[in-house]
Amino acid sequence: MNEMIQTQHLCFAYGQFEAFSEAPTPARMVLQDISLSIERGSFTAVLGHNGCGKSTLAKHFNAILLPSGGKVYVDGIDTAMEDKIFDVRQRVGMVFQNPDNQIVATIVEEDVAFGPENLGIPRKELRSRVDEALEAVGMTDYKDKAPHQLSGGQKQRVAIAGIIAMRPDCIVLDEPTAMLDPRGRREVIATIRRLNREHGITVVLITHYMDEAAQADRVLVFDDGKPILDGTAREVFSHVSILKQVGLDVPQTTELLYQLQKSGVQTPHDVLRVDECAEAVARLFQNAGVPRGAARRVDTAETRPETPHQNKGAAPAIQTVHLTHTYGAGTSLAKNAIEDVNLSIEKGALVGVIGHTGSGKSTLISHLNGLLKPTKGEIYIDGENLWQNPKDIRRFRFKVGLVFQYPEYQLFEETVYKDISFGPRNMGLNESEIDEAVREAARFVGIADELLDASPFELSGGQKRRVAIAGVIAMHPDILILDEPTAGLDPKGRDKILRQIKEYHAERGNTILLISHSMEDVAKFADRVLVMNQAQVAMYDTTENVFQHAREIEQMGLSIPQITKVFHRLAEQGWPVRPGVFTVESAKREILNALSRGGR
Amino acid sequence: MLKDITIGQYFTGHSFLHRLDPRMKIILTMAFVVLLFCASNPLGLLVGVLLLIAAFAVSKVPAKMILKSLKPIIPIILFTAVLNMFFVSGDPVFSWKFLTITKQGLFTALTMTVRILCLIAGTSLLTYTTTPIELTDGLERLMKPLHKLHFPVHELAMMMTIALRFIPTLIEETDKIMNAQKSRGADMDSGGLVQKAKALVPILIPLFVSAFRRADELALAMECRCYRGGEGRTRLRKLRMQSRDFAALLIVAACYAAVICLNLFAANPLHLL
Repeated sequence: MNEMIQTQHLCFAYGQFEAFSEAPTPARMVLQDISLSIERGSFTAVLGHNGCGKSTLAKHFNAILLPSGGKVYVDGIDTAMEDKIFDVRQRVGMVFQNPDNQIVATIVEEDVAFGPENLGIPRKELRSRVDEALEAVGMTDYKDKAPHQLSGGQKQRVAIAGIIAMRPDCIVLDEPTAMLDPRGRREVIATIRRLNREHGITVVLITHYMDEAAQADRVLVFDDGKPILDGTAREVFSHVSILKQVGLDVPQTTELLYQLQKSGVQTPHDVLRVDECAEAVARLFQNAGVPRGAARRVDTAETRPETPHQNKGAAPAIQTVHLTHTYGAGTSLAKNAIEDVNLSIEKGALVGVIGHTGSGKSTLISHLNGLLKPTKGEIYIDGENLWQNPKDIRRFRFKVGLVFQYPEYQLFEETVYKDISFGPRNMGLNESEIDEAVREAARFVGIADELLDASPFELSGGQKRRVAIAGVIAMHPDILILDEPTAGLDPKGRDKILRQIKEYHAERGNTILLISHSMEDVAKFADRVLVMNQAQVAMYDTTENVFQHAREIEQMGLSIPQITKVFHRLAEQGWPVRPGVFTVESAKREILNALSRGGR
Repeated sequence: MLKDITIGQYFTGHSFLHRLDPRMKIILTMAFVVLLFCASNPLGLLVGVLLLIAAFAVSKVPAKMILKSLKPIIPIILFTAVLNMFFVSGDPVFSWKFLTITKQGLFTALTMTVRILCLIAGTSLLTYTTTPIELTDGLERLMKPLHKLHFPVHELAMMMTIALRFIPTLIEETDKIMNAQKSRGADMDSGGLVQKAKALVPILIPLFVSAFRRADELALAMECRCYRGGEGRTRLRKLRMQSRDFAALLIVAACYAAVICLNLFAANPLHLL
């Protein structure tokens, strides 16, 4: 028997079996007649926008949900058989999005033991299973730690170890990296791949990240409760237009070649990796007879991105002078979260802020509206010293709007309208001003009028996020700071929010700081990029200049857009292209330009 | 920083007391409390006091922490001492109008004060030298026989563990929500009591919502890991009594013997007065 999981005409609708609901709500089919099988030992990625039914499908694989129609077999066992339920769950383990909410015990190794303890494994074997599982995810050194002492990626690896210790044949992971930083993502994906390759565990990975899906043997694309594409990553990603239709992304490399093709250039369409893409473009150049210079090393010396150079005259929107913040000052654990930061951000700039976790970027932004008080140094907002009069600090909270990560978790009012009005009300505006501010903010984030009277808790994830952002925009801040506004959203939701922020910026012309782990987002969005590293500002310059220093950025543990990698390669091979290209759009233009210079 | 908070009042260390089996520590602490009240002879009580001082010396818990734990009960001690002083009948040593202080009264007040102080210091020592997790573990195992009486021992222990696990997470979350609402201009420091209580609403509601969401997700994750209650569960960690546990037991037993002997055979020094 080669099938790990098999579904036959699987249908599912929520609300069907709810005995307590008086009037049965019309059941919406979440899964529609799905017949597929997952091969033993395979690595399958499942893609699809939020609400397409992929998580619901995953919950059928370990009998958390039972089919409304059709059958699901796990290792030949029908999941609907009640007495076999723990056999099914032992065989198919599941890892969820939020690493915090799956760890039960207060010590890492005890948490890993939780599953096998439930299975009643004798103590002697428990010990060896726990040790093996921790070894498999590379967390042996942390076995005595408490979960809250670990990073997100480490917690997620502990959660995986907790599943491995049950010796499952298959692991289903439901967006395991959505809440992690790039380093955590890399750790988790590397762990998953190793488990698949070395331990022969079947993997089903649900994800919104195309680069993760590209590593799988097989990619399934879901839309509206059924699979619409099924094949190798290469095959699936070649259907660029279908993927875009269902609100998904494709890797930048694939997108570039697709765009070139649309402009009438013959290109291969099943390109995924950076080296393949660079090769394909190089071949184009060669065929077109583009003159090629000598191979060179791009990067380093050329244009050293510089830190503060301000336009004289107008006071910058934000200025920090020798800004230092020390946590735990006076104790042996004292640590500078930011150290001697001198920064000056022009009015009206749209700045992308990047830096890995712990680089000091969160500490920096918490200073800008006075949530944290500097240990040393000063902050000037619009030329005014923030801490001139500590009693007056609330005034700056309205001037500098700060949207935290996962802002939807701060919603609390009965209606969307009331929640958005919380800020303006605190400012002491009168009713008509409040009304105007709320409606305008709602418009900016695309929340329709009829939603204003709804409870914020009834909205979808993306809507909640936008309401929370509106709550800050409604205060009419001169400076808007957004910490990871797209974290955990699907590609469609991601693009929508970014587009709205960009429109808001265009209309208002205020200063915006966007903190993001996604280099693609920053590249698409920002005019200038601020790179934080080791408690200091490493670079602050135009986006193009910053991305020319791809290598340095990578050395800081950050990633760079795929396109930039491709162009670095091409430039190093001596092709006449600028290495700082960072969007698909400009990449296409650059290539077409170069091609037109070709002899043939 | 918030991440480094400790729960309860555990004092990190590796002393003899820290390494004792939590079950033994719980039993011995209870035995110590009983001992305090058994000792009718003040010399017996002195044995108890000496045992406690020795235990504190071994544990290396600083004296400052002991005093801190005793501070909140000072009013209670004063109250009981005064009551005992005036209302125990016997040979008067001092009298003024209707108030009479007797020799017996003074004696009872003194022994009562010592007993209560020792009681609190002794039980604090248990929490100083035992992590909350060990304590939960020890209690679960000690109460296991109660399971036969349909007392939900495993469920209670599970609840304790999960509570301990999520306290740091929720504290961190509270901090985040507070910062977010402050950024929206929430004013939490000024105003009267009513105003301050009102200012908590924007923090408490999101916190509760999030706690319920977490509970929901955790329950799902536990189900996926085949959780089905305490029945048939094995445990990774086994508590095993070591020779040091029996040594501690012997010491306390010796103290008991001394107290009983003193009770039976030694004259009460009070009568010698």
